[in-house]
Amino acid sequence: MLSFLTPARRGSGLGMAMPALLLLLAFFVIPVAGLLSRSVTEPVTGLQNYETLLGSATYLRIFFNTFLVSGLVTLITALIAFPVAWALAIMPSRVAAVVFAIILLSMWTNLLARTYAWMVLLQQTGLVNRILMAIGIIDQPIQLTNNLIGVTIGMVYIMLPFMILPLYGVIKKIDPAILQAAALCGATKGQALRRVLLPLATPGIASGALMVFVMSLGYFVTPSLLGGTANMMLAELIVQQVQSLLNWGMGGAAAFILLVVTLALYALQLRLFEGKAR
Amino acid sequence: MQMKSLLAVAFVAMAASAANAQQMVFTSWGGTTQDAQTEFWAAPFTEKAGTAVLQDGPTDYGKIKAMVEAGAVAWDVVDTEFDWALQAGKAGLLEPLDFNVIDKAKLDPRFVSDYAVGSFYYSFVIGWNPANFSGDAQPATMADLFDTEKFPGKRTFYKWSAPGVIEAALLADGLPADQLYPLDLDRAFKKLDTIKSSIIWWEGGAQSQQLLASGEAPIGLFWNGRLAALQADGMPVGISWQDNITAADALVVPKGARNKEAAMAFIAEATSAKAQADFATKTGYAPINLDSPELMEAELRATLPDAQTANQINADMAYWAEHRDEIGNRWYAWQAE
Repeated sequence: MLSFLTPARRGSGLGMAMPALLLLLAFFVIPVAGLLSRSVTEPVTGLQNYETLLGSATYLRIFFNTFLVSGLVTLITALIAFPVAWALAIMPSRVAAVVFAIILLSMWTNLLARTYAWMVLLQQTGLVNRILMAIGIIDQPIQLTNNLIGVTIGMVYIMLPFMILPLYGVIKKIDPAILQAAALCGATKGQALRRVLLPLATPGIASGALMVFVMSLGYFVTPSLLGGTANMMLAELIVQQVQSLLNWGMGGAAAFILLVVTLALYALQLRLFEGKAR
Repeated sequence: MQMKSLLAVAFVAMAASAANAQQMVFTSWGGTTQDAQTEFWAAPFTEKAGTAVLQDGPTDYGKIKAMVEAGAVAWDVVDTEFDWALQAGKAGLLEPLDFNVIDKAKLDPRFVSDYAVGSFYYSFVIGWNPANFSGDAQPATMADLFDTEKFPGKRTFYKWSAPGVIEAALLADGLPADQLYPLDLDRAFKKLDTIKSSIIWWEGGAQSQQLLASGEAPIGLFWNGRLAALQADGMPVGISWQDNITAADALVVPKGARNKEAAMAFIAEATSAKAQADFATKTGYAPINLDSPELMEAELRATLPDAQTANQINADMAYWAEHRDEIGNRWYAWQAE
């Protein structure tokens, strides 16, 4: 990735990154270390917080929910983002700029405002239900909030740009002539997609998926407002423990598990795809 | 208007600090409640004592604990839940109140302790949307609130572990009010299980109003002040005071607060008869100063929990303070099940 930098200049690159690294050290690494130490010292020294978290069906269910929602969101986001990224890559650049602006505009709108907007749209008397009833697909309002559907819709919408951008970056670099070559060699459109385009786009899908999955794992606002308590995710548990119950040992343990899972996924992605991206 | 007065407070504060005069920080839950606290408690206090009151929020127990532990307490007076205040007082997170400054003789003894006095109190009452229940039968009792056959539709309850919903479940299950404590949690959760799939949780007052007004949840258990506000806006709302359950907010001073003296004086002002009466008039929550009701218009007094003592149940704050963690852990685990 840094191949344009000569080894001699790498050192100076580190120097330039120093302010950011110091900032991270002071306001991220040290507090995280503090929380971690609380997780094995409060209320008493030992691993009891981890035992409680990993030993109770309720908490395991919260872990399961967290992975389920993150997985669903990643999958659906990828399915929606792929055609969008492809279209962006082949459309005239002036049109693409407008589409990009629309995608980014949604990113720049306040998260809370967007989530409240979904609450209003998805409620029983909301626009979505009314439209579905008006065109006769349903005759009773269906429940779209306070459950898995609500969280998934809300989060897919918020995560889409994070999937589209890396995908676009990779697809844009694919030489369209390769697809023509595939067609000339007798590949059907489906074959060209499956055996040529998808493998070439895999690093983009992988980094988009990692970003979306990891961001989803720690998401709080959207699951809290659009999901029911039965879909509680890890971040909500951490907030409850830290803020409402003042049980920082337990909150720290949950946060540390989340961090470990995230780092493990990142390491896995580096191992599997970083070589190909170069 | 509100923004202006906040700005004014900020400017006064800056001017005050420049002149080396006193200032302090008051933290509450935001929204219309804190607006009223600013208008009827902070502004008169600043006028009388010359101490500027900076507003901060929302109240966050995690932050209070962090500030006290770090010895850097930025908040001087905080509005908290009363049961939390009792627990936190025992846990050493709060300053004992100075009752030489705060006159507790006139305060409702239900809401006075060494570390906390009431901020205001409220009742959990049954509210419903008449558009959804237009028949002859109208919800009246806690049993009705839990009866999804007689009164179909989603129910909305307060999301956080706090006095109110557990008590309501036990009453609905037929437990007499005088036998509520110690709380039979098994029985309460068993009763709650019967309507679990019909529950939508509200996290804050505004959301509870939205759920009821939109008909998303046509019935539920609400803070009485929020229903009074809907009615004041001209929305028809059904209210049943049968078995209304009182709970309260508290004013506390975190341990090590920088402006302790100003904090005590502020609490004295905030709990005075006039400040409490004005706040109650604006918000529909009840005053904890026993002289306040006399200062209010008769029509308004009739809408307060004060006027509904016949079927009233006082949530046992001391019991809750003692068992807050245990109930909280079970509550959140049950919600996530």
